[in-house]
Amino acid sequence: MREVRWIPLGRVRFREALELQRRLHSLRRRGELPDLVLSLEHEPVITLGRSADPRHILGDPVALQASGVEVAEAERGGDVTYHGPGQLVLYPILDLRGFERSIKWYVWALEEVMLRVAADYGIRAGRLPGRPGIWVGNGKLGAVGVYVRGWVTMHGLALNVAPNLDHFRLIVPCGIHGAEATSIAALLGREVPLEEVDERARDAFARVFGARVAPADVEVVTG
Amino acid sequence: MADIVIPPLGEVEEVRVVRWLHEVGDEVQAGEAVAEVESQKATFVIEAPVAGRLFAILVPEGKAAAPGEVIGKIAEREGER
Repeated sequence: MREVRWIPLGRVRFREALELQRRLHSLRRRGELPDLVLSLEHEPVITLGRSADPRHILGDPVALQASGVEVAEAERGGDVTYHGPGQLVLYPILDLRGFERSIKWYVWALEEVMLRVAADYGIRAGRLPGRPGIWVGNGKLGAVGVYVRGWVTMHGLALNVAPNLDHFRLIVPCGIHGAEATSIAALLGREVPLEEVDERARDAFARVFGARVAPADVEVVTG
Repeated sequence: MADIVIPPLGEVEEVRVVRWLHEVGDEVQAGEAVAEVESQKATFVIEAPVAGRLFAILVPEGKAAAPGEVIGKIAEREGER
């Protein structure tokens, strides 16, 4: 059975996580690391994907800085995205040749993990054609954005557990006007601890990817 | 002359070339990233199949291409294959 290391990192600044991902990604490509998933939440940040339109950032840079929101570029596919505390971010660093050699399958699988976690909470979320991510009506509950080189992945998914939804008003999510962000906590009307969602995401990931998932420390993996 | 081809990506019919990482005339190494294509929120890196000089860009940034399509050409280095 496939084995995937699950590495909890806690709250990490986007740029630090990006550097770590790049390092782990190149080690994974050289076959010097096993498949792994980084599980974390970010300090508030707006990121621009490869096809980002800067006009989709609505707040002005000074106001953003004053409210403590960083702006950063990322090599993942997609437009403008917000990340912040209360959002479960998973960055799988996997060699897809050991799973399915398919970009379409991989994006589907990441969405599937989020759909199963939502279903665990009794939330019926779904996919919208041409709009990757998972949705509850017109509300975006989870986002996907990935980068693949030599069939090894980085970046991944972001599931809104209980983030500050006001912060999403700083952007046009994924460049789609009229789309709004929603969260598990907002839909349930109660607090939802991130650790609990992380555990459920781990189980869902194991099922969707057909893998045994074992927690690990990042130091153990990188030596 | 070697072709830079979009590989089969798994049920993906069309991608968009989002970025060429080199200009025509640049030297590239075999396996070096030369272009990035995107489909459905996924960026996929296209690597140089051989070492040489980027000879032609056939599908420019912003344009669509299909898996199997030749998006550029590399003139192989003298004495190498």
